[in-house]
Order: sequence, then C-alpha cells, then structure tokens
Amino acid sequence: MIPEDTATRVLAAALDTGGDLAEIYVEDRTSLSLRLEDSKLEHAVRGKDRGAGVRVLFGPLAAYAYTDDLSEKSLLSAAQAAAAAASGKGKNLVIDLTHQPSPLEYPVVKPFDSLTVADKAQILHRMDETARGFDAHVSQVIAGYGELRRRVWIFNSEGLYVKDDRNIVEVRAMVLAQKNGVIQRAMEGFGGQMGMELFDAHDPMNLSLRLAEAAVKMLDARPAPAGEMTVVMDSGWGGVLFHEACGHAMEADFVSKGSSAYTGMVGQRVASPFVTAIDDGTIPGRRGSLRFDDDGTPASRTVLIEEGILKEYMWDLVEARRMNRDSTGNGRRQSFRHLPMPRMTNTYIAAGPHDPEEIIRSVKKGLYVKRLGGGQADIAKGDFVFSVTEGYLIEDGKLAEPVRGATLMGNGPEVLAEIDMVGNDFALDPGMGMCGKGQSARVSVGQPTVRIPRLTIGGTDEEIAGAMGL
Amino acid sequence: MTDYLQLAQDVVRRAAARGVEAEAIVVDEHETQVRVDGGQVEQLAQSGSKGLGVRVIEGGRVGYAFTSDLSPSSIEETWQAAASLAKVATADEYRALPDPQPISQEDLEIWDPELPQVPIEDKIAFTKQVEDAALAYDPRVVMTNRCTYQDVIAHIYLANSRGFAGTYDRTVAASFIIGIGRDEGSQTMAVGLDASNFYRDLNAQAIGQEAGRKAVEILGGQPVQTQTGTVVLDPTVSAEILAYLSMALTAEAMQRGRSFLVGKLGQEIGSDKVSLLDNGRLKRGLASAPFDGEGVPTSASRLIDEGVLQNVIYDTYTARIDGTVSTGNAQRDSHRGLPSLGPSNFYIQPGTLSHEELIAGVDRGLYVTNIMQTGGIDPINGDCSMGASGLWIENGELVRPVTGVTVATTLPDLLQNIVAVGADLRVVPFVGAIGAPTIRVEGMTIGGK
Repeated sequence: MIPEDTATRVLAAALDTGGDLAEIYVEDRTSLSLRLEDSKLEHAVRGKDRGAGVRVLFGPLAAYAYTDDLSEKSLLSAAQAAAAAASGKGKNLVIDLTHQPSPLEYPVVKPFDSLTVADKAQILHRMDETARGFDAHVSQVIAGYGELRRRVWIFNSEGLYVKDDRNIVEVRAMVLAQKNGVIQRAMEGFGGQMGMELFDAHDPMNLSLRLAEAAVKMLDARPAPAGEMTVVMDSGWGGVLFHEACGHAMEADFVSKGSSAYTGMVGQRVASPFVTAIDDGTIPGRRGSLRFDDDGTPASRTVLIEEGILKEYMWDLVEARRMNRDSTGNGRRQSFRHLPMPRMTNTYIAAGPHDPEEIIRSVKKGLYVKRLGGGQADIAKGDFVFSVTEGYLIEDGKLAEPVRGATLMGNGPEVLAEIDMVGNDFALDPGMGMCGKGQSARVSVGQPTVRIPRLTIGGTDEEIAGAMGL
Repeated sequence: MTDYLQLAQDVVRRAAARGVEAEAIVVDEHETQVRVDGGQVEQLAQSGSKGLGVRVIEGGRVGYAFTSDLSPSSIEETWQAAASLAKVATADEYRALPDPQPISQEDLEIWDPELPQVPIEDKIAFTKQVEDAALAYDPRVVMTNRCTYQDVIAHIYLANSRGFAGTYDRTVAASFIIGIGRDEGSQTMAVGLDASNFYRDLNAQAIGQEAGRKAVEILGGQPVQTQTGTVVLDPTVSAEILAYLSMALTAEAMQRGRSFLVGKLGQEIGSDKVSLLDNGRLKRGLASAPFDGEGVPTSASRLIDEGVLQNVIYDTYTARIDGTVSTGNAQRDSHRGLPSLGPSNFYIQPGTLSHEELIAGVDRGLYVTNIMQTGGIDPINGDCSMGASGLWIENGELVRPVTGVTVATTLPDLLQNIVAVGADLRVVPFVGAIGAPTIRVEGMTIGGK
C-alpha cells in the first residue's frame, strides 16, 4: 500500500526527536452492510476507508497522528506531528525493513463477491419470510448481513514489516413477537473470518426459526425472581460472562496499573480446579483471530488459567515494553484512527468433566440461562451485570417456565472460585461477538455448560425468590 | 482550501443528471485526544480526516456509499456504488429526500472560536488537573484510569438534488476519568465526566472530584436484603435510563412495533411529574445543529406532557408515513452511515426540589449513584433491570454504602411511579445529549441478599 522506501523515510522522520520506537499502521477497509426490517431491504451501504497512523513511543508516552492521505508528504507531516511530543536527540537509526510472513492461514474459500449483492439481499428476505411463517404472533423481523475486509500493513523502526488480511462476514437477526400488548424479542447471529462458505456451515433459515420460536416462547414468560439463586449457564455464548467479568481484568493495562482484581496473582489459585481458561488468537475461521495483532506481534494462544491457577495476562506492545517482557499478541485497535490496547481475541473456558444433563438435574431450584444479552463489569472489584434474554426456571432438576426481565449480578473472581460443575460440552459462540472497551473489537467467546452455586438475580418478582426459600 | 459544499453539490448534480435523487455529505474533522496517568502524558493523538457519503434514491429504493478518498475517480465510484446498491433495495413510496426549507440564522452557540486556538500544552495541563482533582479528593482515591481529554472540531457540508445546500461548524470538548477507591478489603471505581461545546465551560475540578467522591462514598458497601422500596436516582443514572426510554419515543419504533409505548399516543403513561422534551435548537446543546442529517431544520418537541404521551420524534421518512412533518431528528454522526432517527437534546423537565430535599423526604430507600447494565433496560418490551451501587437512606439521611444489588421495575411502572423530580438538571454526554435531574421513584424491587 505504501512503498518500503517511503516507510523507511517516514519512520526516520518520526524518530527525529529521540523517540524510542516509531511505527506506521496502514489500513484499507472495504465494507458492505445490508439491513432488512418491515419486510423491506432498506439499508444497503458500501464503504471504503483508508488511512495510516504514525505512532512514536517515548518513555511512557505514546504519541499518535493519523491521516487519510497516503502520500509521502502527508505521512511525513503525521510523523512530524507525532514526533513533536518527544523531546530528545535524533538517533539516525538505520532501518532495515524485512517482511515477515505469517504461518497462520485463514482461508477465504468463496470470496465475498462469489455471491451478488442481490443474492445476499435475497437471503435476508427469506429469513424474514421464514420467521413470519413460523407463528402468527411474530410481529417484526430485522435481519442484517455484513462483510468487512481489513487489510493492514505495519512497519516499525526495529525493522518489522508485516501484513494481515482480515475478512469478516456476519448475519444477525432480531425477531419480535406480540400478544395481548406484550412484546418480546430474540436476537442472535453467526459469522466468522471466512468467505461465503459461512453459508455451508450455517443455515440462516435455522437462525430465523430458532429466534421466532424463542420470541414466541418468551411471550408467556413470567417476571424473573429477585434475590440469590443457583444458575446454570448454557455452553457457547455463555462464555461472554467470563470475557466480561474476568477476561478484562486479565488485560495487561488494567493489571500493570494495579487497578485489576488479578494484579500480582500469577501462580495463585483464582478459580475452582475445574476451570481452565484460554485466549487463542490463532483459531481458523473465528472472528477474533489475527495473523499479527495491531502492534505487528504474531497472534498466539495464551493459557490464562490452568486448573484454577492464574498463569498469564494478555499483553500488548506498550504494556510489555513497560514490564520488559514479550507481548502475547493482544494489541488491537478499532481502526487506523485509534491507538492499540490490550484486548481479548477468542477467549474461552475449556471443557470439564460433567455431563450437562447431570448439571441441570443437580439443581433443585434455580435459573437456566439459555441466552445472555450484553454485560458489563467493574474491573477494579470484578462486579458484573448481565441481562438474560432467554431464561428458564429449574425446578426439581428439570427446566420449567420461561422468565423475563432477569439481570444476573455477581463478582467475577468469586464466581470463578465458586463454579462447581463444568460440562464436557464445550462450544464456541456462533460468531457475532463485539467487545467495547472504548474501541470496538470483534471477538469470540466460548464455554461448556457451567453451574454457579449462587448469583444475585435482579428480577421484579420478590415473591418467587421468597417462596423458593432464598 | 477545498470548497466541500461545492464538492457535495457537484456530486448530487451529476447523480441527478442520471435521473435519481441524491444527497451528499462531507464531514471534515480535526480531533485531539490526551490521556494522562500518574501525572504523565500517556497518550497524545492529533489528527484530521474527511470523507464523503452519498445517498441515492431511485424509485423509493435507497443505496448508500462512503469513502475517505476524495479524488475525482473515487468520488465518481462512490456515488455510482450508491446508485447500484439502490437497485437491490426494496421500493418504498415513502422514501424521499426532503424539500429545502429555510434555515434560521440564529446562533445556537455550538462553535467555540477559541477551541482551535487552544495550545496542546493547555489541554495537557487541563487533563492533569482532572487527575489531580480526583486524587486530591480523598487519600482513599488511590489511582485513576483513562483520564482523558478529547475535542472535535467539525465542519459539516450537506447538499441534495432538491436544492438544499447547507453547512455549519461545531466544536465539542469532553473529559472523562475513572477514579479507583481503595481501603482495607474494598475496592471501587466510579466515573467523572462532562462535555461542552465550549472549552472554557469544562471544569477540571468538578470532573475529577465527581470520580473521587463517587468511588470513595461506596467503599465498604454491602448488599441489603431483597425488598421493594423507594429509590432515588442520581442525575447520571436517570440520564442513562432516559437514553433507553428515548429509543421507545421515535416514530420508527412506533410504526414498527419496537416500542413498549405502541398505541399509547394521547394516553397517560406516567405520573404528572413527568414531562419530556427533545430540543435540537437548545443553545449550547451538545446535540444542537441548525439542520439535521438530511437538511431539515431542527425543532423542539414536547413528547410527554405531565404524564401524557403527546408526540414522538420524526425524520422525513417516518413523517411521510404518518402524514406529518419531520421534527428534524435525522441524526448522523459521520459520513460513514445513513441518517438515522434519534433524539437530539433530550431531557426531562426539572422540578423544584433540590437534590438534598429529594433525599430528605425518604424514610428508607436507596440512593443510586452508579448503575451497570447492558440490555437490562429494554425500550421494546419495557423491562428495566440493572446492577446498582449507592447509599442507603434512613430517615432522610445517607447512612451507609450499598454495593452488589440490583434494582428492577418495568419502564411503564417506572414512569407511573416517579413521585418527585429535582431541579438539578444535568446534561450527560451519553447516547447524544441526555439531560436529567435527581429523580425519586417508588416501588422498585431491590435485589440483594
């Protein structure tokens, strides 16, 4: 995208004031998004966005300037703007850029344009018809398709020159059902880092049917209880709870400043022995996977917790340099307009010993969480909150009626220590996870079925909890 | 300097020559961001970017394309991409661009002529003051996180093939900090933030102190027993709930059955203490602009008047469906997307009681200073449940910190059970510009031990 000799000159200019490290991040992104609502395809958007950012590290400072003009003149002026924040003597480094290929392969078997835009629109129309055909109570369908290609080139003054090519495709839908003035909804999606072969593995019509069924079922849901209960979380997307409540607290920026509950805990027991947790940025087909992270570090697999013992945090380049160690390849940024920071990639709790059926049977009274909505966690203390979008009461070891309006609240470190059953049914999510930490990043999560002996449920029905002896 | 309005007009002229309706927006922005940690600058980013977005409507079918590359060939490709995407969209007779209307020359005070002149050193000093104020609030504020100052200087150019051409400039300066509180066995975090169109309106002391105070006052907090009771919501908490409520008050949500308020127009949906307004022409309003994202003049609407649902907000499309006029609520935060219907400056009309009086009038209840939720407040089905922390109220006094509880109700019940609204209106830069005072609500379920 920019010639190597241009990169060399821009890096030299960026170090002109004594910076420790200079970097150019070039990005070219093309996107297509389609959205259907009210049985009409009404949003059809194509985008092209291209630019570069120059970063200069100088002691604890990261100075950054970006531009959407890739001419050498414009890149040099970005380099000077970033360099202005440093205040030392130029180093006259000889920068010898060497392109380093990645051994990781994330193939795109059927390119995005192997289906026409009209074909993709047709999929959304059929999803709409399928959901509406399922039940007369289905009142609205929103279906979306998105594809994004991000090509990235990273050069730095230590001679690093790497490229990545990230192809993300996703399908999402929300189905609303209405009866007697009550509106309920169900929402989900699937996707991955691949091409149109996504549709060989996932049938969008199945998604439509599942969501229509869930939305209609929730029409009869009763208000969720309030108070403490045993909770069983479904496999796959349920892993978002670990991501929010524990994963963020294992990101090096929170850890190295001492603001994380996990600061200084490596080697110590932080979870029940059934819990092994991993961040793996190298899984083919997953949306959190990278060849190189946005600092240019090769993506890797990092065991965070092994049988309950904290092993490692997730590091980006800046935090790793601060601690004089290697990055784990977790530096990510939303676009060339942003500075990288430590982020998760594909993060999951590994399979355990228990039969998922047995886990449900073991609960006399509790809540089975089939689908979680979004969540939020407080890094300092580890408290988290999640909304449950599809949940069922468990009575005498069996799934009972659906409940609405449930919020789960607990403390991440406490929950990890208390998880007392971990299923053998490990699954990754269907591939629509988006993480927000000031910047958005595509991620995957996963887990088997797990049992948490005690969580606070924030429903409105004080009586149910009371009647259950809680 | 390139004349971007001319560029936008040229694009729509060329597209219109092919017999389609077209609209072009150019956004030219300059951003600065400073982040400080432990008295040192940790991040410093300064940049400019610009881009073009083109909406084409052909026979009621809409296509959109955008680019950051303003070379002649890229501009040509962009509008043609929009025109070709329109062919796959569904024809909808209500999709059309608005006719040009006169735009008032009234000064909305959204441009700070000083901001472009403020040296970066001043912004760095400001950010350090925010951090100092948080740390100085109390020795138990042990550190801060993400102490940030950010500003945007933007120039917006919009033209459409019906003859609209308009431009305006705006500035926004904002600051944000997380304070971390710690004492024996307890750690907390809390946010301080503010935003304004005017650099001088930002108060570093107030932002830092808010984070420090809110982090320290909940140290050592414990859950309470599960119960139903009175809850007093801090303005930042009220504003977050209002932000979700605003999503239920759009014509789109009504027309498409995505609002718990469907079919309630003209009905009493809340207590007489509840009046809600949306005003895109508020002076020094963070979301104020002379015209909206499709060139319609902005306006003020009273959505809920003393508990009665009077109106919803409209863009051109939803107004045509209902046979009414747009309220100028087509929002657009960049050239990278279609305009979408949403609130501008959205706020609950303040009452007469002070914050202290609102708390003093409570026998037993929870004063909520911080909530955590994602999706727990649902403008579609009306569920409203969130994690909360704050202070327990007994006989009108704040007696002890509370953490680790949930508070829940439904949005219809919440509106009916608002018994008092404070005078301390505060605008929170959250999902646009949402304004709320302290609010007292009866009958919420507090989930704890």
